[in-house]
Amino acid sequence: MAELLTAEQIDQFRAHIAHIEHPRELIIDLLRAVQDKHGWVPDEGVELVAGLLGLTPLEVEEIATFYYKIYRRPVGRYPIHICDSICCWSRGGEALAEHLQKSLDIAPGETSADGLFTLLPTCCLGVCGRAPAMMIGRESYGPLNNEDVDRVLAELRQEAQA
Amino acid sequence: MPTLTIDNQQVTVPDGNTVFEAAEQLGIVVPHFCYHHALGAVGACRMCAVTVVEGSMPGMKMSCMTPAEEGMVVETGTAQAEGFREHVGEWLMTNHPHDCPVCDEGGECQLQEMTIASGHGLRNYRGNKRTYQNQDLGPYVAQEMNRCIQCYRCVRTYQDYCGGRDFGAMGSRQRVFFGRFRDGMLESDFSGNIVDVCPTGVLTDKTFRFKTRLWDLEQAPSICPHCSLGCATVPGGRYRELQRVVSGVNLQTNGHFICDRGRFGSGYVNHPARPRHARAGGSRVSVTDAVDSLLRRISETVSQHGPEAVAMVGSGRASLEANLLLRQWAAELNCPPPVFELHPRRARAIRQTVGTLSDHLASLRQVRKSDLVVVFGADPLAEAPMLALALRQVVRAGGRVVVLDPRPVELPCEFEHHPLTQEKILCLLAGNCEKELFNRLLQDLMAARRPVLVGGGDLLGGVGLQLLGHLTESCDNDDRYCLVHPLLPQANSFGAGLLEGPEQTDLLERLESGRVRALICLESDPCSEHPEAGRMQLAISRLDYLAVFDYLPTHATKRADLLLPTTTPVEGDGVFINNEGRMQAFARVLQPGVPLAVTGQGNHPPREFVPATPGCHPRPAWQLLQQVLGDERTLHGLRQAAAEHESRLEGLSDLQPGGEGLRVMPSSQAPVEESTVEIWSQDGDLRLLPVQVRYGSDHASCLSDKLTPRMTGPQLIVHPQEAEKRQLKAGETVLLKTAQGTFRFPLACDERVVRGRVIVPCLPGTPLEILVPGGLSLPCEIEGEAP
Repeated sequence: MAELLTAEQIDQFRAHIAHIEHPRELIIDLLRAVQDKHGWVPDEGVELVAGLLGLTPLEVEEIATFYYKIYRRPVGRYPIHICDSICCWSRGGEALAEHLQKSLDIAPGETSADGLFTLLPTCCLGVCGRAPAMMIGRESYGPLNNEDVDRVLAELRQEAQA
Repeated sequence: MPTLTIDNQQVTVPDGNTVFEAAEQLGIVVPHFCYHHALGAVGACRMCAVTVVEGSMPGMKMSCMTPAEEGMVVETGTAQAEGFREHVGEWLMTNHPHDCPVCDEGGECQLQEMTIASGHGLRNYRGNKRTYQNQDLGPYVAQEMNRCIQCYRCVRTYQDYCGGRDFGAMGSRQRVFFGRFRDGMLESDFSGNIVDVCPTGVLTDKTFRFKTRLWDLEQAPSICPHCSLGCATVPGGRYRELQRVVSGVNLQTNGHFICDRGRFGSGYVNHPARPRHARAGGSRVSVTDAVDSLLRRISETVSQHGPEAVAMVGSGRASLEANLLLRQWAAELNCPPPVFELHPRRARAIRQTVGTLSDHLASLRQVRKSDLVVVFGADPLAEAPMLALALRQVVRAGGRVVVLDPRPVELPCEFEHHPLTQEKILCLLAGNCEKELFNRLLQDLMAARRPVLVGGGDLLGGVGLQLLGHLTESCDNDDRYCLVHPLLPQANSFGAGLLEGPEQTDLLERLESGRVRALICLESDPCSEHPEAGRMQLAISRLDYLAVFDYLPTHATKRADLLLPTTTPVEGDGVFINNEGRMQAFARVLQPGVPLAVTGQGNHPPREFVPATPGCHPRPAWQLLQQVLGDERTLHGLRQAAAEHESRLEGLSDLQPGGEGLRVMPSSQAPVEESTVEIWSQDGDLRLLPVQVRYGSDHASCLSDKLTPRMTGPQLIVHPQEAEKRQLKAGETVLLKTAQGTFRFPLACDERVVRGRVIVPCLPGTPLEILVPGGLSLPCEIEGEAP
């Protein structure tokens, strides 16, 4: 298994944990750090975080599985969160999701053959003013039409090749 | 104290009560799921909707979240509230499978009851149902997640109330899953409670799976025999087999929950080695013949050697009634009164509790409500598990728990542990050492609003509890008492102690010298209870006559010249008095008999037409003793006479099984002051401390197969520095040398153990059984095995 956190990261977190009253509050930061490094959070990642924070793996898992954007299963390099809530729906979100499925040749929840994209329908992303919207990594995109989506996908494919 | 009207009935409730609780007080059950008396209300299930007609916020409200107000008018049966509840019932059922015919919860399913109560009968939902993969939660709890309605009661019980950290809620929305991080046995010592609280068949008792439907189960309110707390239980059985134990409700003692030792430790009732037949001189006889032979032999002994040659031993395992009759028999024979606790140091602890401490005793409820509990020489999870849960409630409510104990004490909550030797704790209580800690504790106790001191009878002994009594008195003030919660060895130790006459510590000497020729043991085993087990075994083997009344297979029953099998607490009626002096009655659940599963060996029971049930001979010890005494009173009459005779037992005859019980009257005698103060300073030595452990230390749980997965093997626990000093490593097998013999056991190291002590578990049925809890530490040495 690839390294989940660098020794330097672990030292930094340890130092931080020693200074705060409720280490629990760092669960998400640590899980995100593991995810940034590893792409997703394997069981070993949950156990690593639990060990650092003095919690049981279950206590970390309760948080990890609550959040949609902590991936407890392998995902593509660019997980796409496509909003399926009311504002985006009223502005063509459904058609946009269909277009994504067709152009990536995957169903919701699946990862494209090239391993780059995972399509994850999600509830409101909080950018209703830019509906219909999607989110890739930590960046949100919108308002989108099919051409915009194609352009974003092409850019990311290019980035992946570089 | 607001007065409100619910469904045209007026009710006055305490401040802070909710509309739901007010309705409950009127006997109106508003359908509900997430509300539980011990867990409180969270307003999550939306089932308990009612209509507030008049009040500060009229309209449809969740009754469990709405505080009762003065002058409020509430209706539970409006069309709006009923319609709402019906819809809630319907959507709770959308994902619930229709597998009631094969579900273990059938017949005691709150979901069934509440769905019907909500008025929802016909399903409209035709879509797919959500399905899960179940986890293996170990040998005690079976999981069937598809039935889950996400009420969160299991997590609120397991994590919030019981402090478990390996079972929780994962996921969100439709994906919510209640389980562990990985498959495996639930770690909490209170894990079985999630079975009781689950309102449907998600979490069921794996040891009881597919055995009996509720309506076929024989059940009755009982008292747990596994420690001195006297928790309310409801054992259930069928076909002469005790199949399960669930928690009873007694708000004064255990509340709504019990520990896993009490729940899964009942195998002793079905144990194949249990004495089932009366035996005289090595051959089976009828009970009547056995009683006749007993009477003849005892009267022979009395006429040949005088009444002094007969000794009797009662016990804290036997019921109050049986012990009373034993004492009566001794009085009639004019022989010395029975010894009710064979361990002299334990007997003194009981004597102090029954006497000096009796006006300061705290119930478990008072412990839960305390704001500062100081535990002196007790390991609650081992000696009285539900006390550990009570201590957690103290901490949850913002209170503090301090523990002074030599062992690596664990509790399901945060607490302050001061590792001190037994002798140091006694010395501290006497004000002779650790003065800084003592003064700090004293100050905190004085300032606390509801302080409670817990005293482990085994470590403190009579002197320690006496000193604890002085400490409580000095912490009393005009507004409140400082209460004390002593831990005793057995379920009825208090009751037996109440009957104890003048102190007798010379039984062993009287046996050895031949002054005692005949010994009568009532549900007690001198060979495993007396601190000098080896000497006791020898002394007993030289007796002319040993008569034993017992339901457990013990050294004494094996050796007995006369054996009268008695019934377990679930097979008879009786009264136990718990560690706070609460008299509690238990009722018969089952008739004694060899379980059908054994006689039928999994098939049809044998086709023999005999009038008697196999193994039906055991009878309640009090009935047998009545036969001995020619006493024909009913149990009620017996209790009535006892209450008239013993002023402290006032109210005994009014007890009802399943009730809250009744405290015995405080002792009116002058406090018992012990002449010798047994305080030693043994520092520098390595000494052995035999202690009770969580599973397998009491005579009932060590015979319960179900508890095997929780049992830890014999091991020696020392502070890592003691191991280092002797060049020993954790995990290696070491030699333990004691006056009782040399043992080989693996060594474990724990930094929480006090220096200079070797902690060793007391485990009846293993080579370690020669070490009995309740004594002072013993000289010992540990060394590596010779290469």
